[in-house]
Amino acid sequence: MKVTFPYMGTTQVYAVYAKLLELLGHEVILPAKPNKKTTALGVKYSPEFACYPLKVIMGTYLDAIERGADTVVTSGGHGPCRAGYYGELHKKIIHNMGKEVDFIIFDEPKRGYRQFIENVKKVKGDISWFRVFKILKTVYYLSCSLDKLEKLFTRKRAYVKDKTGFNQAWEEIIKRYSQIEDVREIEAVEKEARDKLDSFPTVIPPEEERLRIGVVGEIYVVMEASVNNNIEEILNSLGAEVERSHYISEWVQESLIPFAGKRAEEIMKKGERYLEIIIGGHAKQSVGHIIDYKERGFDGVIHLKPFGCLPELITQSLLDKISEDLDLPILSLSIDEQTASANIITRVEAFLDMVRYKKYKRRERRISHG
Amino acid sequence: MKIGIPRALVYYYYFPFWQALFEYLGYEVLLSDPTTTHILNKGVKEATPEICVPIKVYVGHVLDLLDKNVDKIYVPRFVSIRKGVTFCPKFLGLPDMLKYSLRGVENKILTHIIKSKTDDISGYNNYRDLQRELGVKGKIMREALAYASKKWHDFRKLQQLGYTTEKLLEGQKVKQNDGGLTIALLGYVYNMYDQFINMGLRSKLQEMGVRIVTFEELTLETIEEELKQFNKLMFWEFTNKILGAGYHFIHSPAISGLIHVTAFGCGPDSILGPFLELEAEKYNKPFMTLRIDEQTGESHLLTRLEAFTDLLKLNRKQERIKKVDIG
Repeated sequence: MKVTFPYMGTTQVYAVYAKLLELLGHEVILPAKPNKKTTALGVKYSPEFACYPLKVIMGTYLDAIERGADTVVTSGGHGPCRAGYYGELHKKIIHNMGKEVDFIIFDEPKRGYRQFIENVKKVKGDISWFRVFKILKTVYYLSCSLDKLEKLFTRKRAYVKDKTGFNQAWEEIIKRYSQIEDVREIEAVEKEARDKLDSFPTVIPPEEERLRIGVVGEIYVVMEASVNNNIEEILNSLGAEVERSHYISEWVQESLIPFAGKRAEEIMKKGERYLEIIIGGHAKQSVGHIIDYKERGFDGVIHLKPFGCLPELITQSLLDKISEDLDLPILSLSIDEQTASANIITRVEAFLDMVRYKKYKRRERRISHG
Repeated sequence: MKIGIPRALVYYYYFPFWQALFEYLGYEVLLSDPTTTHILNKGVKEATPEICVPIKVYVGHVLDLLDKNVDKIYVPRFVSIRKGVTFCPKFLGLPDMLKYSLRGVENKILTHIIKSKTDDISGYNNYRDLQRELGVKGKIMREALAYASKKWHDFRKLQQLGYTTEKLLEGQKVKQNDGGLTIALLGYVYNMYDQFINMGLRSKLQEMGVRIVTFEELTLETIEEELKQFNKLMFWEFTNKILGAGYHFIHSPAISGLIHVTAFGCGPDSILGPFLELEAEKYNKPFMTLRIDEQTGESHLLTRLEAFTDLLKLNRKQERIKKVDIG
């Protein structure tokens, strides 16, 4: 069995998902980082109006299948967001292309216990439950640690002079993480990584001149840098600190570990102000995060969504009102195969200029009043 | 008190229910005008540019009702009409979207959540919020719901007997002429019966001598039977209905061809499309997708319809010749 999986979240693909499957004893065909070739392939074989992540993932599947993958492991979902049906549609289209690929789609157990257990057995192979538990624990802690570091990284990169060197150091850190095999190694690796990041000199401006930008929206385009044109790097290079609304470890906490989702509940509660019920995807979380960023003193929010995204279109309809109510600049960007990076850079640049000016004006007012 | 109902989205499926409900409760029901350029343009202007045209039309109708000075605008929040299956997220967030993106509607939106297990949405629990808002007694509400449910079932039965929906909504009973060709039109009621948005698609086909069948004419049992072959249903109930109906029509020899009518950027349909297309291909059934939005030109539509019906006629002729040859 040669296994591949959907590519999501550059940082974690190799260090976390690939690791999980490898530790379980599978031969893994790593999905390529989405690039022009894979995306063109995905666009060609996906329905025209499917959302962009479906096309991107389709491309990386086809690419991995070409390189010998015969099994796809992915998650299902319960809607009403389309993402929960990706697996079924990918399967239908890929089978129709005459490719014999096995799809292992993990749906919530309550949708079909037998299927779920069968899937688990397939993925688990001959490994003992005790070992599986250990592996899951390792991978989970690894992912938490990596996410913590990434937050530090995208905050600090705004003020590091040598950005190329800093990016390289980050890549080395990810590589180091992907070598971890046991949960006990994590602490030392994290310490080493922190030291590495700290060794870069920074020029941090005074508090009132620091810009903090939150990135919210649909989970795939928010997490996947190769799809959102490296929006975090763009923001950092323009001198803004960045935090995004989705991190893998948090997603795991919310959806898989019982009673650990307190923070997530809080965010949902905040979202209720504008969205009464859960409408699918992460629309309500997006609204909640915007409010949360405002409360934590962020200066602006960038809202990302794939073109035509169902739940985030509702969020987008609310943004004008939210922005007005909270007095918080929000920029909403739609992303698909037509998006050009020059467009994103220009818009983000203009947005940051505006945010900076607004902040400056407010300070000026305060000084003259004071 | 005048209650306005937008003539858009599931109006074409549930209006008889709503009309009976509110009239039984003693309210005046006012409909927005049939869609016009003016209404559409208003919707296009106010709605998020990227959203699908049915929602833009809906926004236009809400604004039209606002101009008509109704006291309340009825915007139920449709969450589900089948266990475990919801509506498109745009339905789920519709009242929020209107409340926070249009000026002057906040206090006029009359909304409540509909979470039903079946198509019949008369479950009393769904209406507690509405009842409180309107200050109606529980007993009366129950009576009204029973009455509305009966009216709605009558409407659905007539649909299944082949009476055309657009006439039924106007209170008339008209049956279609039996044309030479039968085409299945697959699409949501709000694209199918809004004559403005689909540019008279149905009447154009009828003029060409085509008999049209749609999913509403099938009984729910027929659709359910087809849906059994899917190990995972889609998440949107009307999409499932069209999926089931589509498969039924593809497998039925009486149907000459299928047209899938969909709005530009419709998310559920982007998933549904390949399932219909591939199945039609497998059974060698002519299949066409018509995509409509606020930019669609009428002559484009006409040309495609003509070409499609010509093709079907040719198909039939050849089949007849083949039969004669063999015989």
